[in-house]
Amino acid sequence: MIELKQVTKTYGKKQNAFTALDNVSFMIPDGASVAILGKSGSGKSTLMHAMSGLDRPETGEVIIDGEDILKLKTKQIDKFRAHKIGFIFQSFFVQANETVSDNVSLPLEIAGVARSTRKKKITAALESVDLLEKIGNKAKNLSGGQKQRLAVARAIVNEPQIIFADEPTGNLDSVTGAKVEDMLFAYNKEKGVTLIIVTHDPDLAGKCDMQINIKDGKIESIRDLKKTPATAPTTTRIKVGM
Amino acid sequence: MKITDTVRRAGRSLRNAKARTLLTSLAIAVGAFTLTLSLAAGEGSRQYAEKIITSNIDPQALIVAKDKSLFGADAGAGGLKEYSEGTTQYAGLTLKSLSQAELDKIKKTEGIERVQPSYLVKAQYVEFESNDKKFTSDITMYDASVRAESAAGSLPALGEQIKDDEIIVPQGFLKTIGIDNPADLLGKKVTFTLVKPAPTPSEAEINQIIATEGAAGLAKLAQGETTKETFTVRTVSKDSVTSLSASSALFISENRAKELSEFLTKGTKDYQRYIAVTAIAKDSADPEKVKEALVKQGLTARTAKDLQGLLFTIVNLLQGIVAGFGVLALIASVFGIINTQYISVLERTQQIGLMKALGMRGKDVAKLFRYEAAWIGFLGGVIGSGAAWGLGTLLNPWITKQLSLGDGNYLLVFQVIPVIVLIVALMLIAVVAGYFPARKAAKLDPIEALRTE
Repeated sequence: MIELKQVTKTYGKKQNAFTALDNVSFMIPDGASVAILGKSGSGKSTLMHAMSGLDRPETGEVIIDGEDILKLKTKQIDKFRAHKIGFIFQSFFVQANETVSDNVSLPLEIAGVARSTRKKKITAALESVDLLEKIGNKAKNLSGGQKQRLAVARAIVNEPQIIFADEPTGNLDSVTGAKVEDMLFAYNKEKGVTLIIVTHDPDLAGKCDMQINIKDGKIESIRDLKKTPATAPTTTRIKVGM
Repeated sequence: MKITDTVRRAGRSLRNAKARTLLTSLAIAVGAFTLTLSLAAGEGSRQYAEKIITSNIDPQALIVAKDKSLFGADAGAGGLKEYSEGTTQYAGLTLKSLSQAELDKIKKTEGIERVQPSYLVKAQYVEFESNDKKFTSDITMYDASVRAESAAGSLPALGEQIKDDEIIVPQGFLKTIGIDNPADLLGKKVTFTLVKPAPTPSEAEINQIIATEGAAGLAKLAQGETTKETFTVRTVSKDSVTSLSASSALFISENRAKELSEFLTKGTKDYQRYIAVTAIAKDSADPEKVKEALVKQGLTARTAKDLQGLLFTIVNLLQGIVAGFGVLALIASVFGIINTQYISVLERTQQIGLMKALGMRGKDVAKLFRYEAAWIGFLGGVIGSGAAWGLGTLLNPWITKQLSLGDGNYLLVFQVIPVIVLIVALMLIAVVAGYFPARKAAKLDPIEALRTE
């Protein structure tokens, strides 16, 4: 379970101060698929950074598994990300000069997984994104869709609890984009992993259990699509920000 | 992150930028090349110097003198000096000399087996049987404690003297004498003409001689005494490059050298006075201890070790100069590494950001870059040292020939351990050079880094 309590993040100082997140509070149950919707500059990326421990809001709490990650030391946050979080980015960020296998291996190496078990995990992850036959290829020789599937494999290889996907299909055509989306949702359902997608694509957001709309750093609305397709946030599982 | 994984990733990053890696490490290679050569040349020179000393000088021998300036820094200082009784002129220098009594005292010093003064015979001229010209040459005693090599004829065993009527002629004299084949000189006669200087008579003596012998007697007195001594050539000694023994003097036996030297100096103040003597320490005695005992007597002494130290000082100085150039090259290469690593950090901002986002610790990121620097250092060290080793081994025979070092002697002696130490040191230097770029990488904010498109 992810719970945010009155999270505020400001950039800059004094007159130039810009509030990226303004008193944001909500709750995401384990295993949910969540879309964070908003225009560019709305604060949706900052929200994702705050939830994944990449950024540190000045005030508020980000409680994951009962622990406020804002109170953790850098070392513990690094460990938290290495073991519990998977990332997928709009521009893939795969290492072009390295092989497919070495790309997927990176999170395992960072997490200190033994070499003997790595091989098995890499093979399994590549198999689930249908890239096993490319295992020895250099990443630069892959197509865009293949690169994003590689990024998915890298995100899931260490079996994280939460996957953050920042515009995962933004750089893909609709057919390949759909394939990546299907993979992500299938993994979310199969393994019960919490999937948090930052997007401005309403179609993609529509496939999620839950939508969080953000505007000017504030939560505009939260919709639970699974329970109530209606606009009113009435479920008890979600606490709307004040 | 495990160290092996970090090292492997560092190696992979370098392989992905082959040209840059190679060029950066070549800068270090220049330094490594120079330093390896200086190490090899230093070692080679030391081995060579040691070989010369051990093959020429009895390790138990000490050269003992009274005048410190014979060995000291002010040796060769001529000019005005305070007069003292018991000085001897040597090569235009006035040096305090040892008297027979002092010689006996040295003999009694603990640990000394025997004392050997070096006798110099100042002949008016020297004649060779095969040539009717007159020559001048230094004549000295044959030193039985020094090994010599023969070009023709035989040499006595080490420690044994030649016979009293024998003489040894150095090979270098043959050209002047006009003989090509050293064997042709064997058995030939050599004659010295010795002129004893006239004593300076007192006024009373002059008056007495005039009274008894008249003017003829006075003329006879002023003429001095002339004698001729004849020797047979036993051996022609070889000019050896590893031989320090004076190859520019005629050698006669110790007895004759003493006899002739005393004949020439009898009645003068140089009689039985010696600038320097060779003292041989007992096998059981430490020459350094003997030296201390002699110094306490107000004498100066020089052991084989001192001579070695002197040679080594020169070698070390030369080696230091060459090494200095190597160090300069290394300093230049340090800036090369810093520059390369900074560029590498900039180029890989996104990669660093990703790794940090995935939970890689800042210090692991720094390690990654430090290991890359270490790899560059390693590569440069191996290239430079390898090139120096290969080239040195290839050129060694040629250098030996050019410098006439003698067969089996090499100027460049490469040793595995110093080279390994050098390579490790270069890796450390490279790591230090990579410190700031690595720190920059470690401090990169992943959010900022991943925003870079």
